[in-house]
Amino acid sequence: MAQATVMTDPYTQAADRLRTLTKVMTTKAAIAQTPKELVWAINKAKLYRYTPVVPAEKRHPVPLLLVFALMNRPYILDLRPGHSFVEYMVKQGYDLYLLDWGAPGPEDKNLKFDDYTLDYMPRAIRKMKAISGSEEFSLLGWCIGAILTSIYSALRPDDGLRSLILLTAPLDFSNKQGLTFARWVDERYFDIDKVLGAFGNMPGEMIDYGARALKPVENYISNYLKLWDNIDDPRVVEAWHAMNTWVTDNVPLAGGAFRQLIVDLYRNDRLMKGELVIRGQRVDLSRIRANLLTVIAEGDHITPSCQSEPIMSKVSSSDKELFRIAGGHIGIMAGSGASKYTWPHINGWLAPRSGRP
Amino acid sequence: MADEASKDSKPFDPMEPWRGMRDAYLDTWSKSMVEMVNTEAYAQAAGAMLDTYLTVSTPFREAVEKAMLKTLEQLAMPSRADIVSIAERMTHIEMRLDDLDAKLDEMHKVITKLGTRSVAASAPQAAKKAPRQTKKAGQSKRMKRGKK
Repeated sequence: MAQATVMTDPYTQAADRLRTLTKVMTTKAAIAQTPKELVWAINKAKLYRYTPVVPAEKRHPVPLLLVFALMNRPYILDLRPGHSFVEYMVKQGYDLYLLDWGAPGPEDKNLKFDDYTLDYMPRAIRKMKAISGSEEFSLLGWCIGAILTSIYSALRPDDGLRSLILLTAPLDFSNKQGLTFARWVDERYFDIDKVLGAFGNMPGEMIDYGARALKPVENYISNYLKLWDNIDDPRVVEAWHAMNTWVTDNVPLAGGAFRQLIVDLYRNDRLMKGELVIRGQRVDLSRIRANLLTVIAEGDHITPSCQSEPIMSKVSSSDKELFRIAGGHIGIMAGSGASKYTWPHINGWLAPRSGRP
Repeated sequence: MADEASKDSKPFDPMEPWRGMRDAYLDTWSKSMVEMVNTEAYAQAAGAMLDTYLTVSTPFREAVEKAMLKTLEQLAMPSRADIVSIAERMTHIEMRLDDLDAKLDEMHKVITKLGTRSVAASAPQAAKKAPRQTKKAGQSKRMKRGKK
């Protein structure tokens, strides 16, 4: 039976569209809905444990800790119900933890990778081990979070790390021609002392501008046109709203860490050269022995594949896999195809490596 | 059949060809912009703009900071630097507390383990002693009766 088409006059339709547009542009979507419990906190850093939904006897005994970037909110991993990596992994039976770095204040301007990897991460991991009762654990690091997890894994290889997952990991900075950011922060054009002298921490708005300016037409024009074209489709509007909430929720980057990112990594590529020194200790990536999965987004304009591939030949892990997937830096984990391709692959790789030894 | 056909076919949208043209134009523009921002000239220009902004704004910012510092001193109020220093010390204290908490957890675990072991070890002895205890209980009853 044919349904009668509901006819709306153009004025009502235009008013509805404007109302929807105003709503998504001026309000925040309900995000990070998966139930969780705060189990540890130091300074701005917080460790959350997601409430398990699978009975203890069916759960993977090795817990998984998610470590996201320092300059964005980690709830991109738990964007909205029905479209959340966290929700998916909890349903797959993981004892799941998330390390939220929080927003650094003026008192944190001297925080460096040293502090994050040797003060905060070991303590959060100690707490996770105590709660889960497991001496072994897995780590998933995304973007700058992958830099931190790599440094941690190299500095503390005997801490019980069984599996390491690196998502769009910017680790190799040798290909200066392929990295737009490297060109922008070249010492001839970018005076880091002056910037940090003025701001203390690198403002989130400036980082956001940098990320958007890599693809200005897409980010400043096409993105909004896409919303307008699909304004009558509630599914598209809901997804856009959630993503826009995340994109516009910027976090400053601690001055010390930003300096290391620019000077040690972007300008001098010290991590890959084996010259990066963290609190007096040289970071030697060959000390990483954990099972390794590196995920590369083929359309990533923030972290091109040339930055993530080389770690595969640097680590000592006997069990390692490089997984390439179509999509962008964020899209591979939060886009429409994430639940079909990326998440099942991560689960398929990690599940057999999360059992009892 | 007619119903199915009407379901599948979209109503004619006069804006559709325009949208196609628009997207093609945006695509071309986007590619040229990506190339443009990836040049030395763009990096130089962006750097110069930021540098100019910082050069111009720094004296004002410093003047405001100095004035604020003096005002706070006059009012016997803590300055931003004082608060920052306290916050840093708080973080150190938090870390020390976290370490103590972890050590206490460890000690609690060890004590619980030791307690479980000693209970397990004393269980057979207790079982051996159990009949004697009944005897004693019986004796005491007798004693009580004797007293009566």
